[in-house]
Amino acid sequence: MDLLNLPVKLQARGLTMRYGANEILGGVSFDAKSGEFLSILGPSGCGKTTVLGILVGLLKPESGSVFKDGADITGVHPSKRGMGIVFQNYALFQNMTVLGNVEYALRIKKETRGQSREIAASIIERVGLKEHMHKKPHRLSGGQQQRVAVARTLAMGPDVVLLDEPMSALDAATRLQMREELIDIKDTFGTTMIYVTHDQEEAFALSDRVIVMETGKISQFDTPENIICNPANEYVRDFVVRNIELKLKSLTKYINNKI
Amino acid sequence: MTATVNKIQTSIKSLLTVFLVVAVILPLAKMLALVTYSDLGAVLTSPRLWRAVKNSVSVSAAASFIAISTAMLAAFCVSRCDIRNRRIFNVMAALPMLIPSVSHGMGLIIMFGRNGVLTNILGIEGSLYGFWGIAAGSVFYSFPLAYLMLENILRYEDTSPYEAAEVLGISCARQFMSITLPYMRKPLASVIFAVFTMIVTDYGVPLTIGGRYVTLPVMMYEEVVGLLKFGSGSVIGALLLIPAAVSFIFDSFTHDIGNQSYLAHTRRLKVSRVINTMARIYCGIICVTALLPVLSFLFLAFVRKYPWDMSLTLYNVTNSFRRGAGTYMKNSLIIALCVATSGVIMSYLAAYLTARSEGSSSRALHFASITSIAVPGIVLGIAYVLLFRTTFLYGTMGILILVNLTHFFASPYLMAYNSLNKVNRNLEAVGMTLGVGRWRIIRDVIVPLTASTIVEMWSYFFINSMMTISAVAFLSNVRTRPLSMMIPSFEANMQFESAAFVSLLILAVNVTMKGLMGIINGILRRRRELC
Ligand SMILES: Nc1ncnc2c1ncn2[C@@H]1O[C@H](COP(=O)(O)OP(=O)(O)OP(=O)(O)O)[C@@H](O)[C@H]1O
Ligand SMILES: [Mg+2]
Repeated sequence: MDLLNLPVKLQARGLTMRYGANEILGGVSFDAKSGEFLSILGPSGCGKTTVLGILVGLLKPESGSVFKDGADITGVHPSKRGMGIVFQNYALFQNMTVLGNVEYALRIKKETRGQSREIAASIIERVGLKEHMHKKPHRLSGGQQQRVAVARTLAMGPDVVLLDEPMSALDAATRLQMREELIDIKDTFGTTMIYVTHDQEEAFALSDRVIVMETGKISQFDTPENIICNPANEYVRDFVVRNIELKLKSLTKYINNKI
Repeated sequence: MTATVNKIQTSIKSLLTVFLVVAVILPLAKMLALVTYSDLGAVLTSPRLWRAVKNSVSVSAAASFIAISTAMLAAFCVSRCDIRNRRIFNVMAALPMLIPSVSHGMGLIIMFGRNGVLTNILGIEGSLYGFWGIAAGSVFYSFPLAYLMLENILRYEDTSPYEAAEVLGISCARQFMSITLPYMRKPLASVIFAVFTMIVTDYGVPLTIGGRYVTLPVMMYEEVVGLLKFGSGSVIGALLLIPAAVSFIFDSFTHDIGNQSYLAHTRRLKVSRVINTMARIYCGIICVTALLPVLSFLFLAFVRKYPWDMSLTLYNVTNSFRRGAGTYMKNSLIIALCVATSGVIMSYLAAYLTARSEGSSSRALHFASITSIAVPGIVLGIAYVLLFRTTFLYGTMGILILVNLTHFFASPYLMAYNSLNKVNRNLEAVGMTLGVGRWRIIRDVIVPLTASTIVEMWSYFFINSMMTISAVAFLSNVRTRPLSMMIPSFEANMQFESAAFVSLLILAVNVTMKGLMGIINGILRRRRELC
């Protein structure tokens, strides 16, 4: 996919944020192209969740703005932005079935009962949970619960989906499988995805472009290839490239030993 | 991520805080402000006061010691040994908690007083009134609290150190000294404070069975109700705040109030057959003992005049109803229903706001919500008299509802606080992005998820309002009197048979309520597990 030719979907301009005397974000700017898979990579506490919160409208930035399709949406209510968010722990409605979770917001949006059910059922089928439709979340596996959270968000028809470390509660095998599925979902629904993680390998494997964050600011924002070939500074080299090199080295060793 | 706090929430928070300040802190402040130097001097130099202090402290210490050691043993038996019908035991052990404390004093008189049922059967000599009577009555009614707290502590103790000790061949005694005691130290201190405070501030038991052995609460009651000496009543009230205040401060320093830790590894340990049998016998004895007062009420309520005329009769039933038991029962039910309903709404709202949003206003509300735990009912009662005597509220049902609501606010608040803290913190944020407002999420998701806690909170308010006499004794009149107040007045007229019947009536209401709550919780559980 040639990113250069795609229109800009979402844009953050000079976002700053502070809690009391602590500066959490010191001017964060980036853009996401339509249909892009963008990752935000950084260590714990660097402000990734805060950025997502501002993008979706749950948090107000101290200064800076968010643009979507060229319009300033900084003051727009979260539900009116055409964006969805999936949290790390999914935040499912544990008292409702899978179907209930997905159709709940549709019903409140005054869709008719039949319409809501139709939309919800088709999305549940699409994420592969058809036979679990009438189960409650606590009877599902971690990966299945995550799919419910994604389906619940997709039901509202967003064109941007934000995911906050959605894989961190899953085992390695499920993570690999969910990667594929996320890409698949992105392509089917044509959404732009912004994916927060502190797993380098995941970010590099999934993304069109990666934002490497260091406490409150962006260190480098580029395609995976460019980040690996030209790390912008020591920090990126240490935090990202070094890790991947180490992994490669041990892999090579392992393969050599096998042979 | 907690979604941005809006104006409505902030104003509800301030409203609740103001309410609690007016309902708890203002009356206390008024009471303390009324203490003059001359009162203070007069009370503090009177030998009567110091005798009462000495009496109170010694009898409460003795009763706490007995209650806590017997409860500790029972808690050990239940959590460590193989007791059949554990659930039945837990119900039985908690039974005395459903009867007012005045009734426990009376139960002892019926059983062990001059001509008591057991006195006559066993041929015991000696007087029950005074120190040992108060101690025994206090043990009866504080045992359930001690047991429930200790059982809860032991149930969540991590058992892996014991398994390790077992492997290493460390003796039971050593295990107890080096594993159990260090683990129990802080929670045990909390239990001691709680039980001691409960006993030292109670006046139901000493009122009925104290005789000439005057304790602080009884003295305060006499000063205020008998002699209308509000000044010296306030001084004693201030003294009675001390133990509760100390325990409150202790609790907030040793662990964050309302934050329970959950230990993962709790396995039942192996215990020898002999110990198991002994544990079963002990638990059986406890059950029978806990049942004794109820049995004696049942017996007494339906005889004409114990021990002279033992013919079976419904006289006490008709006598009670002729004296207004019907009206008072209605009063009690109205009060309990109003307290339970408004109490659940207010404490749940308060807990929602403090558990799920941050900032200094949340901390202020949290503090205001738990302070009432440090105020004994009797002190709250006199403080209310002093503050509201001249207002329209005085002499109405409203003030009884208000005082009970305040008196019992802290525990249900903490129940809600604990379970709301466990509910996923991002639900409201998710709702916002989906276009579902906070109040909708509360109604459709959070309340259903915490339904069993709400049921528990409701029954706590209800049952305690049905039983209490401490605060309402100062505030009720002929028109608004609750049913529980009939017990001391029947006792004062030596009509123990009717008093026993009224105690049974209260017990019956409370047991029915408990049963109902059990059924509702069962339905909720089944619903939760469905699908
Ligand atoms: N409500 C708050 N009040 C004060 N400080 C906060 C608050 N929320 C977050 N912070 C601080 O802001 C910083 C960034 O938090 P954020 O949650 O955005 O980090 P993160 O990159 O998502 O970390 P993680 O990988 O651990 O989720 C942290 O230092 C955190 O302590
Ligand atoms: Mg985060």
